[in-house]
Amino acid sequence: MKQKTFIGFTLTMAIAFFSTVMTQVNADPINPILKAEIDEEVTAPEIAKPIKNDIKQARNYPMQPPLVPHNIRGYEINLNVNKCMACHNRTRTEESQAPMISVTHYMDRDGNFLAEISPRRYFCNQCHVPQTDAKPVVKNEFVDMEKMVIKAEKEEE
Amino acid sequence: MNITRRGFVKASAASAAATAAGITLPATASNIITRTGSTELKWDKAPCRFCGTGCSINVATKNGKVVATHGDIKSPVNRGLNCVKGYFLSKIMYGEDRLTQPLLRMKDGKYDKNGDFAPISWDAAFDIMAEKYKAALNTKGAGSIGMFGSGQWTVMEGYAAVKLMKAGFRTNHLEPNARHCMASAVGGFMRTFGIDEPMGCYDDFEAADAFVLWGSNMAEMHPILWTRLTDRRLSNPDVDVAVLSTYQHRSFDLADLPIIFEPQSDLAILNYIANYIIEKDKVNWEFVNKHTNFRRGVTDIGYGLRDEHPAQKAAKNAGNAKGSTPMTFAEFKEFVSEYTAEKTAEISGVGEAQLEKLAKLYADPNKKVMSLWTMGMNQHTRGVWANNLIYNIHLLTGKISTPGNSPFSLTGQPSACGTAREVGTFSHRLPADMVVANPKHRAYAEKIWKLPEGTVPPKPGYHAVLHNRKLKDGDLNVYWVQCNNNMQAAANINEEGFPGYRNPDNFIIVSDVYPTVTAQAGDLILPTAMWVEKEGAYGNAERRTQSWYQQVKAPGEAKSDMWQMVEFSKRFKINEVWPADLIAKQPELAEKTLYEVLFKNGNVDAYGLNEVPDDRLNDEAREFGFYIQKGLFEEYAAFGRDHGHDLAPYDRYHQERGLRWPVVDGVETKWRYREGSDPYVKAGKGFEFYGKPDGKAIIFALPYEAAPEVPDKEYDLWLSTGRVLEHWHSGSMTQRVPELHKAVPDALIYMHPQDAKKRGLRRGDEVKLTSRRGHINIRVETRGRNKPPQGLVFVPWFDAARLINKVTLDATDPISKQTDFKKCAVKVEKV
Amino acid sequence: MKWLKNFWRTFNRPSVHFSLGFLALGGFIAGIIFWGGFNTALEMTNTEEFCVGCHEMRDNVFEELQPTIHYSNRSGVRATCPDCHVPHEWSNKIARKMAASKEVWGKIFGTIATRDKFLEKRRHLAENEWARLKANDSLECRNCHNFDSMDFTLQGKRAAAMHSTALASGEKTCIDCHKGIAHHLPDMKGVKGW
Repeated sequence: MKQKTFIGFTLTMAIAFFSTVMTQVNADPINPILKAEIDEEVTAPEIAKPIKNDIKQARNYPMQPPLVPHNIRGYEINLNVNKCMACHNRTRTEESQAPMISVTHYMDRDGNFLAEISPRRYFCNQCHVPQTDAKPVVKNEFVDMEKMVIKAEKEEE
Repeated sequence: MNITRRGFVKASAASAAATAAGITLPATASNIITRTGSTELKWDKAPCRFCGTGCSINVATKNGKVVATHGDIKSPVNRGLNCVKGYFLSKIMYGEDRLTQPLLRMKDGKYDKNGDFAPISWDAAFDIMAEKYKAALNTKGAGSIGMFGSGQWTVMEGYAAVKLMKAGFRTNHLEPNARHCMASAVGGFMRTFGIDEPMGCYDDFEAADAFVLWGSNMAEMHPILWTRLTDRRLSNPDVDVAVLSTYQHRSFDLADLPIIFEPQSDLAILNYIANYIIEKDKVNWEFVNKHTNFRRGVTDIGYGLRDEHPAQKAAKNAGNAKGSTPMTFAEFKEFVSEYTAEKTAEISGVGEAQLEKLAKLYADPNKKVMSLWTMGMNQHTRGVWANNLIYNIHLLTGKISTPGNSPFSLTGQPSACGTAREVGTFSHRLPADMVVANPKHRAYAEKIWKLPEGTVPPKPGYHAVLHNRKLKDGDLNVYWVQCNNNMQAAANINEEGFPGYRNPDNFIIVSDVYPTVTAQAGDLILPTAMWVEKEGAYGNAERRTQSWYQQVKAPGEAKSDMWQMVEFSKRFKINEVWPADLIAKQPELAEKTLYEVLFKNGNVDAYGLNEVPDDRLNDEAREFGFYIQKGLFEEYAAFGRDHGHDLAPYDRYHQERGLRWPVVDGVETKWRYREGSDPYVKAGKGFEFYGKPDGKAIIFALPYEAAPEVPDKEYDLWLSTGRVLEHWHSGSMTQRVPELHKAVPDALIYMHPQDAKKRGLRRGDEVKLTSRRGHINIRVETRGRNKPPQGLVFVPWFDAARLINKVTLDATDPISKQTDFKKCAVKVEKV
Repeated sequence: MKWLKNFWRTFNRPSVHFSLGFLALGGFIAGIIFWGGFNTALEMTNTEEFCVGCHEMRDNVFEELQPTIHYSNRSGVRATCPDCHVPHEWSNKIARKMAASKEVWGKIFGTIATRDKFLEKRRHLAENEWARLKANDSLECRNCHNFDSMDFTLQGKRAAAMHSTALASGEKTCIDCHKGIAHHLPDMKGVKGW
């Protein structure tokens, strides 16, 4: 009986000890991306896979460049060729059924419309990026302006 | 509900799509919105929060939130464009883990270095800070207090920091993170021209016939300037683009002349070009004779490592790195003559034909050449030399200060120029290129600040890399980090940074927006307002100063860096921080607070709240009771006016999309040092490099010297680190934007497929990347956007979960003290 | 001159030591050995190792191939140089090999010995391959990518749409759309669809 109590006591102590250690370890790494002590070894997650489902994502606001919903592995954009424009250029969209680049993309620095895509917009991937299946580490609380409008209208009614 | 036809069409299209996808839309979503009152957005301007390009942004706010951003069509810098980061500016402030109250490491309700972070009030935060500052002042003196700021501070914040540290606490241990980024560029400018920052401007992009990228990957790091370069190249097929780097990257997509060179051999290539120009008789004699001097620099200057490091011990002239002696042209010619095509090809691994093509671009008198560089040249143990050597080429050919002829040092951070360099937040500097070591400069500062002579200490403080070493050694004990993430950013985390911050003798304060790696390493975290949550000004790479108004309120109790410093200064009386002999010179100051002496000095508080527009937020001005941003700006501007650094009156910046200094008689300056475009050049001079007493720039004889750590049998690969398009620096803002995170979620190690194969590795394998200082685990990428040659690997540093600076070497340029993040030796093994 | 006459006489004279059967069999065996050798040699030239033995191939096209899906992919089925560039069927193969004598010529005279020379010729070289694949209805593509075995439901929407119409009807062949899938493209000015 005494022995049992002793074991029970030790166990309780051990649990108490480990739980304090645990809370300390858990509370300290406040960086949600690192999720570890700075001098701790962390394993690297697998390389995220490209999303290529061809489903358009709603933009956060009208001026946001649309994300690329397909794979662009091996797409060349260089002095010789712009693979994106093989589908998204105005004259190519009928055959490709891809969305045409925005009209702004035909404007030069001074706002004049050109016959072809403006060279300043040539490197598509400076603004348009594909997505991977990686999960966001930190939630973003950005509020869509439409939600604000709806709220305001409701309040008015 | 009244549905218009347009509204009906829109509503039915949406519900058709929704039906197809098998979801039901909430009724409100099919409503059409027509009332201006509810759909109106409030638009205002602000410079971009990210890189040194300095794009202007239109910011839309509604209900106290930023709801949209896009490129400002009126800005001459970006004309309506943004890069992908810039387009997502709207979301950087809204990460769920925004810091909204001060956090202190505590145990049992008291501060404890080994405690856990717990929320406290601002009052309590300043209490413990003041206690630690006063203890340090009383025991070891001001020399044990340090501050690490930022090229992302606003101009006013940087200026407040200079005053607080150099005049208030009287210590020069103030550094910006720009030391990691621009110090070699500054060193290059000061050495060659005697005055900092580029002579040319972005208008050069539309005028140049050839562009040479020295180690820069503009396509990712300066995307909007890249659009201007691309525009020029693709609109004019005769324009040439040469791209030099140690690995292939996105900028090579536009390269007519792609060159991959062996790390460090840029020094040889630059000397070869000078040699070629002289050999082929392409020297612009009129320019060289009138406007240049020749000097021979000291060599074998070491690598800025700790004194006991073998590489440091072996260096002959580590103590006199900056030295130089005059020489003649004939001697210079002799000096560069050893850099023949053959020898340079051998050192650099670049073919002789390629080298000649490159040299020809510079040598051809009919080609206007713009040279561009950033971290490849600056983060270099011979970074100042590399900068000097580029200027050599432009000076020998007279290709400088005229449209399109432009050696152009690009800037990493939004206000590395405006704040770090112009305000002088370095350990050796004062505003407007003045230095603490110069008694006249100190006297000038003390006069403007209305402080007694001798207030500013004459000895330069510890530089950035030394900060971490001195923290570790226990010489720096109270340390305030603002607006940067130096635990993640500085080299050699394992041996210097981390032990420094966690040294039990030290108290580390970290002001930030999010819980960064640095915040995690600190003891007190102060929640900070960012970007348009405060009023500020930035200065970009082409000397353009831009201001913005506060547009939204900061969340919770978050406060700007400036507020934190100014408010904290109220905690000290002059007689608590200054010695008696100094107070004796101006005894009326003794009982005053640092706040009263530094910020209520008749200058900073000269502008009343009546000057703050009623419809504008300005939480800080309203709290302090005067237009503090304008006061700080105007007092600071007094340093540069009539000294070649003239700024316009503050109010004007609210009207303009920035102005390029010197702004003389209300007119900005595009090209400096040239008669007709720079008001400081005297009539009849043609060109005048007025930073030097005789108006002549210096052409330096400087050799190729090897890097301190090169691959060997065990550590058989070069490691280069750098940035990516989608993330800003250490990723603390951009990793919290889901779209940017999902575009580039993790840092990977880019390596050549054959290098991977040789080690039995394949894409996606987890590997251990090890140097003599530490290791990280990381996944292999063999077909990504960066394509290293065999023998070199590249790892970006944005990822808080892959701390690559555990691996890097903290070797610096001995002149600029800037770390070389581009070169060390590593090995890669399968986990 | 005398030794030549002697040699011819010996060569021309019927055999006295060996039987006809022996000679015929010997000739047959020699033929097999020779033929086998020829084929082995031919097949040796039909490997990636052989191709990348020349720096022109290794530093340009092979370097470009490595990051592509034809070199590294999910299932590990990969294309080596000859898979795409040498016909599998014998007579075509020999024809291609004979055409390759021009490449030997090119190697000797260094027509693409430097990166610059290669880049200058890239459009021309690419056009040759496009024309060859167009003419044989993308035969080397189809050696692996069998139209009948394509499951359109597992393809992307756009890919399925194209394959089920233009490719199915024979209006288009693989190379019409899939240019530059294994190597970088040349300047595409004037190329249809670009």
